[in-house]
Amino acid sequence: MFGLAMRSLRKRASAFTASFLSMFLGSAIIMAFASMLDTASAGGATGPAEETLSTMAIVVGGWGLLLVVFAVTSTLTLSVRQRAAEMALLKSVGATPGQLSRMIVGEAAGLAVAAALLGIVPGMLLGRGLLGLLHDTGQVPGDIGYSFGSAGLSMGVGVTLVSAVAAALISARRATRVRVAESMAAAATDRAKLGRKRIVFAVVFLFLALDEAIVTVTVMDGEGSNAMMTSGQADIFAAIGLALLAPAIVRRVTALLARPLRALGGPSGDLAISTMRNRTGALASAVSPVILFVGIAVGTVYLQATENAAMDAAGLTKSAEDKSIETLNFVVTGMVVLFAAIMLVNTLIAATAHRRREFGQTRLAGATPRQVLGAVAVESVVLTVTGVVCGTVASVFTIVPFGLARRDSATPDGSVWIYVAVVALAAVLTGATACGTTRRTIRVPAVEAALR
Amino acid sequence: MFGRREPRPAQQAPGEALRLENVRRVYGAEGNQVVALDGVSLSLPVGSFTAVMGPSGSGKSTLLQCAAGLDRPSGGRVFVDGAELTGDGEAALTRFRRQRIGFVFQQFNLLPTLNVMQNVVLPLKLAGRRVDKARARAVLERVGLGARLGHLPSELSGGQQQRVAIARALVTEPRVLFADEPTGALDTRSARDVLGLLQESVRMFGQTVVMVTHDPVAAAHANAVLYLADGRIVGHQTAPTAEAVAERMTHLADEVERQRTMAGA
Repeated sequence: MFGLAMRSLRKRASAFTASFLSMFLGSAIIMAFASMLDTASAGGATGPAEETLSTMAIVVGGWGLLLVVFAVTSTLTLSVRQRAAEMALLKSVGATPGQLSRMIVGEAAGLAVAAALLGIVPGMLLGRGLLGLLHDTGQVPGDIGYSFGSAGLSMGVGVTLVSAVAAALISARRATRVRVAESMAAAATDRAKLGRKRIVFAVVFLFLALDEAIVTVTVMDGEGSNAMMTSGQADIFAAIGLALLAPAIVRRVTALLARPLRALGGPSGDLAISTMRNRTGALASAVSPVILFVGIAVGTVYLQATENAAMDAAGLTKSAEDKSIETLNFVVTGMVVLFAAIMLVNTLIAATAHRRREFGQTRLAGATPRQVLGAVAVESVVLTVTGVVCGTVASVFTIVPFGLARRDSATPDGSVWIYVAVVALAAVLTGATACGTTRRTIRVPAVEAALR
Repeated sequence: MFGRREPRPAQQAPGEALRLENVRRVYGAEGNQVVALDGVSLSLPVGSFTAVMGPSGSGKSTLLQCAAGLDRPSGGRVFVDGAELTGDGEAALTRFRRQRIGFVFQQFNLLPTLNVMQNVVLPLKLAGRRVDKARARAVLERVGLGARLGHLPSELSGGQQQRVAIARALVTEPRVLFADEPTGALDTRSARDVLGLLQESVRMFGQTVVMVTHDPVAAAHANAVLYLADGRIVGHQTAPTAEAVAERMTHLADEVERQRTMAGA
């Protein structure tokens, strides 16, 4: 099975692009931050400088682990699901579920090793840049030079490998549980009901978010910047909780928007609505990254804006610690946003390219290319609106409690244009990816797409 | 040539549903060309049921795709119900097809995300035509699926899916219904049902049907058989029986083989 895994990696490299990209970027970022530990020990940093460096490494390393698991699971699950026919074929010639899992895990591990090795040089460059930033802001004395050593290397390779294998085990479990005949039927439509486990996890995450919000307004009220410690993660928990509930949310939204979209969208709108009702599973996996993207970006950026306004109001200048918190906030947000964007683009490209045959069939039934594109555009609008609304709700879990605790105001500081920019970015990413891929997919003659 | 609009109406025989004039289709780049259709001309009257037969690679499917506006011929002209198929881009071809042509394929090609009723009314909706649900239901009852309107294709057997595809093709009242190996993926009993439905649409509703097949039993359901070999029409037979078709096919293969060896020698 390992031989088969390596062969499948070599012969079908493009199918693994997104998983590889998540692992590669993840390993580079983690190595960059983990090398701060090497820098601290090699440069003999002491006091606040040492604390700043190790906090950077540990916080970002921890978040990186979580993000890479999440991103790789989502990209790997998708690529495994698209190979349903191949999996069914392997099962039909006698592969056991255990053998299939070993193949999937083998592929992921091979990919992770390559990604981590390739990530070393970019990771060193990023780390050097990061230290430069810390020098410039005076958080670390200039005489501490950059060093990349065992901590950076082991954390980078370790986190990437562990998260890739964990993600592969999760996707393999999902893929191999289905029986041969079922896996073929399931590929066509998915009206997947929410599993009990999924609901439990969603509720747990939403409760965590609520808990953090309540603690922020009660315990942390008047505690100054420390309120960030509890409110900072609330939007992330809420976004994950809502993303887990995405299938149910998408179903409701589709039902709600069915009438207006049918009336406004003409035949394309009608086609989109009928299609979406039977593809809620696929749509939900595209909505999740939009929720994470909007929720975390909006939440963290306004959190920092409120904090800055509070500092200004108190007439205080920022200490090194404040600066390092600000840097961390933006780095973590940047990472989350980057990974969410990769997931979003990957999910949409894979899901859309997968519909080549369906688009061909729609055209054979009499749809012009423009009508197919129109239907996809309507779907993108529904996706974006759902993702933005849920993401905004998630960000409220951070913004409002922090605002109340820090400035006794539920409305955040910071320009409304930040919000507009985040929403516009989400809309452009969704729309451009979905429509661009569709355009490329429908370039082949309809018969060819439908029959082959 | 294909692609040019002729101002004068084509001089067509009354009651002609489909006409091909010297249609050629060449695949591949210069220097490595394969001729799939080598100057095919034919005329089919309204209400005829024609089977197109020939060995693998004889150009059957290419003929059907060129005649149905799914592929563009390299040369020659195609008329459906007196209107010339002109290739002004994909959208124009689509509009031409949805006004005049219905299809049935071997692999059904129903949309997996739409239920039976939604699949059947889809062509009407896409063409912006009034959706007569009662009529769609009547057509589905005719093909024996009146009780399955809300089912998804994955919940139906192959034979049932093909009957939905036939209902979808008939609901637009096409001038010509093209079927490409419609029984190729079905068991004998479902195949007989499907062929019976095509026959019935010809007899009772005057539908014109062109069916590509390699199965003599299927071809025997048609009123006439056209034989194709190496991209040319090499024979014609009316009132075919399965035995006569099989007999002819056997010799056709021999004939083609002989011609090939002579050409190769």
